[in-house]
Amino acid sequence: MGNWVVNHWFSVLFLVVWLGLNVFLFVDAFLKYEKADKYYYTRKILGSTLACARASALCLNFNSTLILLPVCRNLLSFLRGTCSFCSRTLRKQLDHNLTFHKLVAYMICLHTAIHIIAHLFNFDCYSRSRQATDGSLASILSSLSHDEKKGGSWLNPIQSRNTTVEYVTFTSIAGLTGVIMTIALILMVTSATEFIRRSYFEVFWYTHHLFIFYILGLGIHGIGGIVRGQTEESMNESHPRKCAESFEMWDDRDSHCRRPKFEGHPPESWKWILAPVILYICERILRFYRSQQKVVITKMNKRGFSMEVGQYIFVNCPSISLLEWHPFTLTSAPEEDFFSIHIRAAGDWTENLIRAFEQQYSPIPRIEVDGPFGTASEDVFQYEVAVLVGAGIGVTPFASILKSIWYKFQCADHNLKTKKIYFYWICRETGAFSWFNNLLTSLEQEMEELGKVGFLNYRLFLTGWDSNIVGHAALNFDKATDIVTGLKQKTSFGRPMWDNEFSTIATSHPKSVVGVFLCGPRTLAKSLRKCCHRYSSLDPRKVQFYFNKENF
Amino acid sequence: MGQIEWAMWANEQALASGLILITGGIVATAGRFTQWYFGAYSIVAGVFVCLLEYPRGKRKKGSTMERWGQKYMTAVVKLFGPFTRNYYVRAVLHLLLSVPAGFLLATILGTACLAIASGIYLLCPAGGCAWRAVDAHRAQAPGAA
Repeated sequence: MGNWVVNHWFSVLFLVVWLGLNVFLFVDAFLKYEKADKYYYTRKILGSTLACARASALCLNFNSTLILLPVCRNLLSFLRGTCSFCSRTLRKQLDHNLTFHKLVAYMICLHTAIHIIAHLFNFDCYSRSRQATDGSLASILSSLSHDEKKGGSWLNPIQSRNTTVEYVTFTSIAGLTGVIMTIALILMVTSATEFIRRSYFEVFWYTHHLFIFYILGLGIHGIGGIVRGQTEESMNESHPRKCAESFEMWDDRDSHCRRPKFEGHPPESWKWILAPVILYICERILRFYRSQQKVVITKMNKRGFSMEVGQYIFVNCPSISLLEWHPFTLTSAPEEDFFSIHIRAAGDWTENLIRAFEQQYSPIPRIEVDGPFGTASEDVFQYEVAVLVGAGIGVTPFASILKSIWYKFQCADHNLKTKKIYFYWICRETGAFSWFNNLLTSLEQEMEELGKVGFLNYRLFLTGWDSNIVGHAALNFDKATDIVTGLKQKTSFGRPMWDNEFSTIATSHPKSVVGVFLCGPRTLAKSLRKCCHRYSSLDPRKVQFYFNKENF
Repeated sequence: MGQIEWAMWANEQALASGLILITGGIVATAGRFTQWYFGAYSIVAGVFVCLLEYPRGKRKKGSTMERWGQKYMTAVVKLFGPFTRNYYVRAVLHLLLSVPAGFLLATILGTACLAIASGIYLLCPAGGCAWRAVDAHRAQAPGAA
């Protein structure tokens, strides 16, 4: 428990502040509309659902402000870069931008539900009081018509007895934009479930652009001024607390109280969303600008492109699809004069890309690149001891790191904080990764030449083994190099026993801060996280394991 | 785009619509809005749609993530044979179910969403669109590679 707190205190604090603000805004707005005299008459018709609707509206404004910020990748990268003096814990939060985006989205959905339900009750109340003929306060207030020469001091938006609530909904700006926004929101949510995102990314990507309708709708939602409160002037003249009782006598000439006059609430959503929308537009312009820069393929080059280890880029290939951008980790090191990615065929777009490149007789298709963007792998060199775990295609960010180490050694870079790296490569079979194999072989030789054999400790685990392979390995046990990979380090079969690994590392480095980096599936993340908590000492001076997961 | 199985998204959308219909129906019935009996209908229709759409069909390519506890409903859905298997039948069914709920403001959102789900089901290529039950043995998630 103690370790969990040490690793996650900032996330918890951030979430508590965010939730707290939501609660505060809700309660504050609720009380305002429930108690203020300005809405005394409005409450006479609507009751507490007015305050409910307004409170949820304020929370919707707040969360709509926040929702665009976590997806401004370039802004976040910039923050990461400028905050190099900030502690590791603070910078790690920027990795969780998508999680926060989802949380804010759920909150928007919740408040949308509250808002719609409250307004359904409101419309029903308005409709009933318009139909009422009993001369009650509510019916008199509703009869204040829109035609008054004094500038429309009406209260009830439902004008005539025959108007249905459906008619008002679809002919008022608030109602129509509300319906459009909600449908856009629902479509965005259903196409963004994990299953759809992972299996049919295009459906998610294109549908999610419906957010434009949501934002536009939000901007103009309040223009009609349907939420009405009594005007200042009218309140001075006939205060509701004094005059409400005597409503039958408002029209009498000698009464102190006149008919109350109402005015609409000016729209305020646009004030909340203006800044994030501008930031997001800048973000998209920046992405577009970067995408226009020429990329030379065979070895990719782009003017002004500079990267750090483990970063990723977004790639677009206009000849395959104009609008789709897909993320790929960079497998080259910053020290090289080109940048590279390795792509696995995993769906429509990747298969088409590979096919396009394999064509012998047509020219190489043009590629657009946006990035690079930073993720946790950049932090590898900040740790004294680093444990890198790459599962399957997840080995790609580590290709960049290992290559970078190689170059740093060649330049004898003494600024390298890292003293020891443990690298675990877990995959079904190494066939698809022969390029990585070659990298490890070169590193092995390099280490030997420099006499630093102990710096990089790597283990390869083949999970797709069968008895043939094992038999073969057993027979060749005495050979110096492994028969499967040709590396000096022998291949293990099956999955690593993390408890053993972690306890060995903890024993060998009792006073160090160990960074654990994973690029792989969630189940593995869970086991590693558990091990990090279990083997971190409660004493902050002794061994500490920090877990970092990379995902897209 | 050729490999997208629209039925999978239609399924998510229909499930969400069912929930929205139920919620709208409860609000209308509890609040005794005018013509609240449409709300009562909406609850029943919503429950039916949710039960029908809860078991996720098997994907043509790749493994299918089952929803928690869906195997109980799978048995029921399989019973109705072609009526529940064929996605076009589902599309028409959803369209018809959504119409009565359109008369009440509280449930009109459910109508719109269910109609959209119906439209997405119609995007399935002809002759290739059927709901198939996920086999219990093969529904295990692949282990860490």
